[in-house]
Amino acid sequence: MRAALTRAAGLAAVLALVGLLPWLSGKDPALSLLRARSAEQEPTAEALDAIREDLGLDAGPFGLLGHWAAGLIRGDLGVSWVSGSEVLPSVTAGLQVSLALMGASLAVALLVGTALALPVLVRGRGGAGTLGAMLAAVPEYLVALLLLVVAGVWLGWFPTSGWGGPAHMVLPALALGIPAGALLGRLVADALPDALDERWVELWRGAGVGRRAVTTAALRRVLPPLIPQFGMAAVGLTGGAVAVETVFAVPGLGRTALGAARSQDLPLLQGAVLALLALGLLVGVASAALRAQLLGPALRDAALTLPAARPVRVSPAVPAVLGTLLAGVTGWGLLRDPYVIDTTARLTAPSWAHPLGTDALGRDVLARLGHGAGSTVGTAAAVCLIGLVIGLALGFLPNAATGLADIANALPPVIVGMLVAASTGPGAGGAALAVALISWPPLAAHAAALAQEVRASAFLSAQKAIGASPARIMVRHVLPSVAGPVSRHAVLRLPGIALALASLGFLGLGAQPPSPDWGLLLDESADYIERAPVAALAPAVALALLAALAVALSAHTRRGGPRRAPVRKEAAPVAV
Amino acid sequence: MSPLLDVRELVVRYGRTTAVDGVSFQVDAGETVGLIGPSGCGKSSTAAAVLQLRRPHSGEIRFGGVELTALGERELRAVRPRVQPVFQDPYGSLSPRRRIRDQVAEPLRAQGRWSAATGPGRVRELLALVGLDGEHGGRLPHELSGGQCQRAGIARALASDPELLILDEPVSALDPSMRAGILNLLLELQETRGLGYLFICHDLAAVRHFSDRVLTMREGRLTAS
Repeated sequence: MRAALTRAAGLAAVLALVGLLPWLSGKDPALSLLRARSAEQEPTAEALDAIREDLGLDAGPFGLLGHWAAGLIRGDLGVSWVSGSEVLPSVTAGLQVSLALMGASLAVALLVGTALALPVLVRGRGGAGTLGAMLAAVPEYLVALLLLVVAGVWLGWFPTSGWGGPAHMVLPALALGIPAGALLGRLVADALPDALDERWVELWRGAGVGRRAVTTAALRRVLPPLIPQFGMAAVGLTGGAVAVETVFAVPGLGRTALGAARSQDLPLLQGAVLALLALGLLVGVASAALRAQLLGPALRDAALTLPAARPVRVSPAVPAVLGTLLAGVTGWGLLRDPYVIDTTARLTAPSWAHPLGTDALGRDVLARLGHGAGSTVGTAAAVCLIGLVIGLALGFLPNAATGLADIANALPPVIVGMLVAASTGPGAGGAALAVALISWPPLAAHAAALAQEVRASAFLSAQKAIGASPARIMVRHVLPSVAGPVSRHAVLRLPGIALALASLGFLGLGAQPPSPDWGLLLDESADYIERAPVAALAPAVALALLAALAVALSAHTRRGGPRRAPVRKEAAPVAV
Repeated sequence: MSPLLDVRELVVRYGRTTAVDGVSFQVDAGETVGLIGPSGCGKSSTAAAVLQLRRPHSGEIRFGGVELTALGERELRAVRPRVQPVFQDPYGSLSPRRRIRDQVAEPLRAQGRWSAATGPGRVRELLALVGLDGEHGGRLPHELSGGQCQRAGIARALASDPELLILDEPVSALDPSMRAGILNLLLELQETRGLGYLFICHDLAAVRHFSDRVLTMREGRLTAS
């Protein structure tokens, strides 16, 4: 109940934040609006004031919010600061395109997911394996770029930009659908063997129930707890759509929002983000309803749970090798200068002087990759630390945290990145803030679970009985039991956070040129992929390695992170 | 002489459920009072209320002439060391991440009685009292047996110089071979230190053997025994 309240409060806060964007950004759009409305009119003080009054900009934050909310209720989203045209038609046009794209990518996701889950359905054991985990971890923008290069440019099978007919839909739908489908397939494939191990399956088989009926029942048993995750994946599509629509120049909602964020056209951004959020909310509500429908009375009587998706089994050597490889490239690159421009050596092939070739300005790609890793990982580490502090703090207030976490989970990093970039201007700091704002929920959940476990232990009652003060118990006993495992967990999330930062850089919402941020490198390299493939693919490969590292590390979360205190009833000494 | 512990009309509630419903009993110094009853009858809730780990709904808990229910959290902290618990789960009652000697030293530190000169010697003494040596003190709980952990838990309770121990099924989780050792240790300690025991158990034979008086509890009330 309290969670529902904080959830509503969080939603209201996000809405208010969107509404307050013009005030937060401190931009005065009066002059640009005047130019957009009529080129002849003189920018006199009266004319500018009239525009400000018209927009409610001079009424302070609350007046502005009221003005915006009132317009929203009337269905008036305002006027673009750049073009001077109504926002609503642009948003609805973009929404139509995006909905078609998302529908197509959901179909792709279902196909991919079924393909991944099918072997497990047929054999009754196994899991989605490393391929599924890898596909699920690779960010949409990377898939989009690879598809663009391979199927679009090299093979020429499909058009690579625009929105004309069904052919235009193929590549964007694949780029959006493959990672989402891999996630769905992996969740189902990993949960199925556990369901098939349950007692009732044996009973049914013993009673002569056919294989197909058992499999169907197992599938139905597995789905309800996974549906919220599917909902999250669908919400993630709204964020992925921004990147994919941008790569393929699809005139959808995501691209509209990104363009508006880049040009600080706040009314258009507000409208587009609002539509994206509404889409995500709708999916969330629909998935909750579907889950309630599937579970029926079981939801009320006793919530069914299944173990979380099993981590991929990876030998500890894999993350070690990946980490060493990335560290090696980074170390080598750090010794070189990433900013030296040599126009005589543009887009050269790899050579001893430039092991990974040069970019369009003749800069050494290895050097840029190395320095980019340095700054990206450094920023990611700072973001991790902020996320850890927020996570620990909120972990001790689980009631407040659940609602907030739901909101943070429902906001893709790209959308938060656009909002932050619109109010502070695009930059590395804003991108870091955006990712930090939403990276804490898993850490808070982990901290809350550990704190609860510690507080419930007899050992803590003993501390209280000794006469220790609450502060002493907190600092000496609860915090040490919680902070260690949660910190290790935070470190394991570092590659994922670096990927999110790179995605913002790629979309122009993060670090700005000439900074060697990996996302930015990827964006720049896309233009010269045909002339210098090695130089162009280097950042893509580096990002893919990072994604692989994230998967490999997550496989070790159980062992390195949330380790439970040993609880044994037998009086048997156990050596470690 | 007034009793060490005097509980009157104790009522403990969890939400709408009444776990303890008007229980009264006394424990004298040097006396063992056994409390038996089936699971869920309110034994442990009574223990938690006496330890003030859970504030009772109503009733009086008078310890050494002081009314505990009337004390604030801060005043209570000064009295708490005099009543110490020994729990059922030997591993759960110790922190899994700290060495035994640090955990036995913790009461001394928390109560401001620790000094670098006398502290370590006091901890060795306490460990020796329960039959553990310095080598055990350097280990972590999971490196000890259940019986050894239970001894460490008793040493920690003794570190507060208590007058009353609340023994909440102290041997139920132990191997039968280790039970006698722990019970004998408790008897010895009672003899040398004049401790009062509230001994909670569901093993009637053990309670009869160990206690001066036995109270039987059922559905939150004491029944005549």
